[in-house]
Amino acid sequence: MQNNRFWLASGMAVLLFAAVPESSRGISVPDTITLNSQSKLYEPFKFDHAKHIILTKECSYCHHHTTGTLEQDSNCVRCHRNSSETKVVSCKGCHRTDSFSAVSMKEKDPKTYHLDKPSLKAAMHRNCISCHEKMKGPIGCQDCHHRTKEGDALYNSGVFAPKKKTAKGGHGAH
Amino acid sequence: MKRRDFLKGCLVSGAAASLCAPSKSWAVGSFEGYPDSMGVLVDTTRCIGCRSCEAACNKEQKLPEPDVPFDDTSVFKEKRRTTEKAYTVVNRYEANDAQKPPYRKMQCNHCNEPGCLTSCFVNAYTKTKEGAVIYNAEVCVGCRTCMVACPFNIPAYSYSSAISPIIKKCIFCYHTRLKFGKPPACVEICPQEALTFGLRSDLIKMGHERIRETPDRYVDHIYGEKEMGGTSWLYLSRVSAEQIGLDTTLGNEPIISNVKDFLGMVPMVLTIWPALFTGIHLLATRNKNHGDVHDNHSEQEDGKK
Amino acid sequence: MKKLIASGTQSVDSLQKSHGRNWTLMEKLFLGLTLPQYVGQALRNPLNWIFAIIFAVGIPIILGRFFFGLSWVTHSSNDYPWGLFLGFGLFGMVPLSSSGFLLGTSCVVFGRHDLEPMERLGLLNGLLGYFFAVVYLLIDLGQPWRLPFPMVVSFGPAAVLFLVAWHVSTYLSVQIAEVSTSFFEWIGFPIGIRAIRKITLGLTVSGIILSTLHQGALGALFTYAPGKVHPLWYSSSYQWIHFFVSSIPGGLCMVITVSTIASKTMSWRFDKRFKESLDRITISLAKGASMGLATYLTIKLMSIAHDNKWAYFATGWGEWYLVEIFIGVILPMFMLAYAIHHKNMAIIRFGALLVVIGIFLNRLNVALITFNWKLPYREIPHWREFIVTLTVYALYIVVYRFILYRLPILYEWRVEKEFAPAYVTETESTPLRLAVAYAAETESTALENSDTATS
Repeated sequence: MQNNRFWLASGMAVLLFAAVPESSRGISVPDTITLNSQSKLYEPFKFDHAKHIILTKECSYCHHHTTGTLEQDSNCVRCHRNSSETKVVSCKGCHRTDSFSAVSMKEKDPKTYHLDKPSLKAAMHRNCISCHEKMKGPIGCQDCHHRTKEGDALYNSGVFAPKKKTAKGGHGAH
Repeated sequence: MKRRDFLKGCLVSGAAASLCAPSKSWAVGSFEGYPDSMGVLVDTTRCIGCRSCEAACNKEQKLPEPDVPFDDTSVFKEKRRTTEKAYTVVNRYEANDAQKPPYRKMQCNHCNEPGCLTSCFVNAYTKTKEGAVIYNAEVCVGCRTCMVACPFNIPAYSYSSAISPIIKKCIFCYHTRLKFGKPPACVEICPQEALTFGLRSDLIKMGHERIRETPDRYVDHIYGEKEMGGTSWLYLSRVSAEQIGLDTTLGNEPIISNVKDFLGMVPMVLTIWPALFTGIHLLATRNKNHGDVHDNHSEQEDGKK
Repeated sequence: MKKLIASGTQSVDSLQKSHGRNWTLMEKLFLGLTLPQYVGQALRNPLNWIFAIIFAVGIPIILGRFFFGLSWVTHSSNDYPWGLFLGFGLFGMVPLSSSGFLLGTSCVVFGRHDLEPMERLGLLNGLLGYFFAVVYLLIDLGQPWRLPFPMVVSFGPAAVLFLVAWHVSTYLSVQIAEVSTSFFEWIGFPIGIRAIRKITLGLTVSGIILSTLHQGALGALFTYAPGKVHPLWYSSSYQWIHFFVSSIPGGLCMVITVSTIASKTMSWRFDKRFKESLDRITISLAKGASMGLATYLTIKLMSIAHDNKWAYFATGWGEWYLVEIFIGVILPMFMLAYAIHHKNMAIIRFGALLVVIGIFLNRLNVALITFNWKLPYREIPHWREFIVTLTVYALYIVVYRFILYRLPILYEWRVEKEFAPAYVTETESTPLRLAVAYAAETESTALENSDTATS
């Protein structure tokens, strides 16, 4: 069950599999990674990769069958028992940012096994939040990334919070 | 070929004389949805109740300011429904075990054979080939039959408007997004991808695949695959559908199936009644005394003019 | 009024006042009274004071509805889209107005000329019931300019409501035509009478068709909501039959009730023919109503059996269902049967009143009380909604009374043979004049049928 939640994110790694597994390891393990650089609603933030390596110790816990020990998930093992490590380790290497755009919908090959691959945003959120819930890490949105002014506007929060105190709430539901 | 077209045909054929309604071709059969109908698979096991979808919907559809900020979770204390100010709402439900409570997003399910559409007497509703159920507010009279007909209690009414109250509901972001192949705003903002956008036919396969691969995560049922004739929005859940507030007593027949008994009778009445009652009139009055009291007109009833 | 009649005031019942002088329109409007007399009798009537209070409160609220929106007068519930205006006003008023087509059918199509003294009351009751159902609808929709949309702007012919809209509006015109004979007689417009008389049979038959369909269609509207109407009140196959069949005793009993009220409050307006035939006709109508009730009960039970819904009787809803059926169907059915046999008019009239209440209760149950039975809360309408509903109903009564006082509904318009040519201003030897002359000669009570004499 614990591993199950990662099977979805196993990605197209198999397709990108390259025959130089040794070289892919340890070349560059970043200590911090700037995430969320594209977002308008939340500010970019530095992900403390080094801290998570110390806490987790096991790379494959997040980087499924790309690095670290071999895949354990029974669903993945069916194909990836003997898969070697891939060249692509970073999340964004496989998980697209625009998985529902017209372009990416068109590009989807219906014969691909991993059709149900989450977008980068979803892969990270699901990975992070589910583990944080278990490990009692921070799970609030703004615990990791601060909302921008634009974000506040979207959520009608902060300075954009509704001012009028409406006694009569939404119509209909009592 | 859609059943409602057939019924439309029945009505039209019978009523054409008096109603001058446009005639359309018809055929018998059940409508399985447009082949290129898009949909959204709602995986409630992924939803964390962040209400981002509500915020995105509010801005995309230019809805009025909410009563409380969209990051306020106090709204989960009560069960909300869609209103004229909110085309989608997320509700929190009770978990029956130690696990965290499930959330479910609620919005128009965009039925294959929508009850709202079949009930609308000004034909304001359209099921687009992309799967969206949209409506033309310009012709809406405000009769609210669609609200009665919707089995999911989705359409709301702008009661507060004195001049032009109209129906308000989720339109799958048709005009701004779906038409151009883009996913609706709620899908795009969902951080968890609890909402998966795609061809409805693919989503059904995908849903069954998720159930097959992780059977302990899901109840083996996709709500909306068959319910009410099938809906474009589909739901996966860890708990039973009724536990997340989905009505499981609705059955798989679309709303129109309940009305067809009556609609089928209409052309018969229209064609048989005139002849029948004129005949009865002739039988009852010709060459016969008129009732018990007055019998002075019998000779006058010499047939119809 | 009674006192005035007793004191020798002449009531308007023909074109001529006396000695060949015609009543003026004002005189007709004031019931042949002088203005002080008229105002005096109106002020003496305590009912008018009650109406005045209702209108003083209600009419501003009705106007407010158009300025502040429906949310001002109702709870604007998205779960209960149809409130009292439609639940009571539309769904309740329409079945009680089936009298128009029932009496029209009996008299014109089935040749039941013995019912003719009551025919016009039946037609008027139908017209006013429909008209005020539309008034309720207008107040509910609040956008009168959008009401003709289904007729001219955009068509949804596969929708049940499309049928209701078209048929109610067509039928309203049919009923206006049917009732207009009385108006033409009163105003003195013989061409109109002749024109209508020519198409009476056509109007009546179209009335049957339109009534069958839209009475049924109002029921069929609820087949759109199989999950919302409580199963005991819901039947996919029988819903329209329930509504149609129950409208038969409903319409007949409404006429009995109205004629009872009229006989208590405005018997001065009755002519000899109406007075003498009232009891006999009431019994005839009660016979029809009791047959209708029996049929209705049978079909009700059939639909329960058809969908095997007996288990719901064990619930609170089932008890409420039985209350409705007992008050509105079973009890009056036995009362009518007993009273018809024993010719007990009081019991017949009370039974008819129960049927009327039972129809309102049934329609309210379907549209409002048991609607959304799965939802955890029940909708109690806003107090303003109650007041608006009451105000419109009061308006209905006032208009009803206004017409009954004046038009030849409860009495026969006297057409004296020697006076007849005086108002027939057309070319001589018109068929109508012959008809009128003939009718007067033979002391006909059935003006409606004299048209054929000439064709």
